[in-house]
Amino acid sequence: MEEEENILRILIETKKAFQRDDPYELKQLSNQTIHSATVSQDADNIIVAVLIYSLGKVLERANYREMSGWKEFYKATEENLDSAINSLQNKDIEKCRTHLGKIRNYLNKISGNLGEYIKDIFRKAEINKAFKIYEHGLSSEQTAKLLGVSLWDLSSYIGQSTISEAKASISMPVKKRIKIAEDFLE
Amino acid sequence: MKYLIFDAGPIISLTMNGVLGVLEKLRENFDGEFILTSSVKKEVIDRPLKIKKYALEAIQVQTLLDKKIFRMAEEIIDRQALEKETKRILKISSGILRVSHTGEKINLIQEGEASCIAFSLLCGQENIIVIDERTTRLLTEAPQNLESIMEKKLHIPLTTEPSLTKQFKNLKFIRSSEILFIAYKKNLLPFKKDRQTLDALLYGVKTKGTAISSLEIEEMKKMI
Repeated sequence: MEEEENILRILIETKKAFQRDDPYELKQLSNQTIHSATVSQDADNIIVAVLIYSLGKVLERANYREMSGWKEFYKATEENLDSAINSLQNKDIEKCRTHLGKIRNYLNKISGNLGEYIKDIFRKAEINKAFKIYEHGLSSEQTAKLLGVSLWDLSSYIGQSTISEAKASISMPVKKRIKIAEDFLE
Repeated sequence: MKYLIFDAGPIISLTMNGVLGVLEKLRENFDGEFILTSSVKKEVIDRPLKIKKYALEAIQVQTLLDKKIFRMAEEIIDRQALEKETKRILKISSGILRVSHTGEKINLIQEGEASCIAFSLLCGQENIIVIDERTTRLLTEAPQNLESIMEKKLHIPLTTEPSLTKQFKNLKFIRSSEILFIAYKKNLLPFKKDRQTLDALLYGVKTKGTAISSLEIEEMKKMI
């Protein structure tokens, strides 16, 4: 992990926000991780960003708490967040990664719909974070590679970006670009 | 001989809008070749062929390659030379923007985009790169704009190394929006020719990944 201290702080805050049922704070924490992830492009930062965002989305869906497997998922998340924090405090990065991975892997143990619903949240979170990183300035391909998502999936999301509306995104007058295209394709 | 070099984005946005066939029409009257590099082929054919959701789209692109509408870059430039140049481009591009207080480099582009630039620099013929995403275009056409966008988003000061962008200054870029604009003007599309069609085409590619502003689209519509 390239920014262990920052990730440790974010994981501690994540655990607190998760326990006090605060999806808004989780979203804020995920955004903070994206700033670091854009620069460092460190896989751990990206995993943490996706995890925190997903947990926020899970908390937003109150009906999940009534579903079979919720209590077990909640307990496993709390325990693994604790263990990940302890591991990082002891400079055991590999163990920290393992515990963060266990939160997502635990979904395979949940029978019924809840596991599938939360897996879908994680998948969508990957695309959402990819979109955020793209908005921070990385190319679409670089972003897709970092998040392990398909460029085809990413393209529709990129289309929703407002960043191309910014004046700074226009690097050449459109008439000039059309002239270049017309002269070339004549 | 002229080369129109395609990045993955334009092929994806044209395919997802159901207008990939326009490339076949454009190619008929084009005195040159449409180029795909291996890295781009991976993104538009090899990988999506393994994803059920996008396999049909990949087959459409593969069909254009089979019909020789696209030609592989390696048929024109030696594979090793292209790979070497791609690596060089990646190295240069990762040094263009740095975090001011730490000097940390930011990797902005990937192999696909870099391979298009590499082909453009090596082919020795008139060429244009078709690329929809903004980062590569900004990096070469207006790196200071990219710096300002990223500084605003990241809330940290960045520094641009202008000497590194010099070798990219002669690169030319168009997007799938310009491809469709020309196809529209030349009557190459199977649609009724009116402003609504042009509007739908341009917003269609915008919503599928082409970095074009609404302002630019409105300007394009006025040019008809």
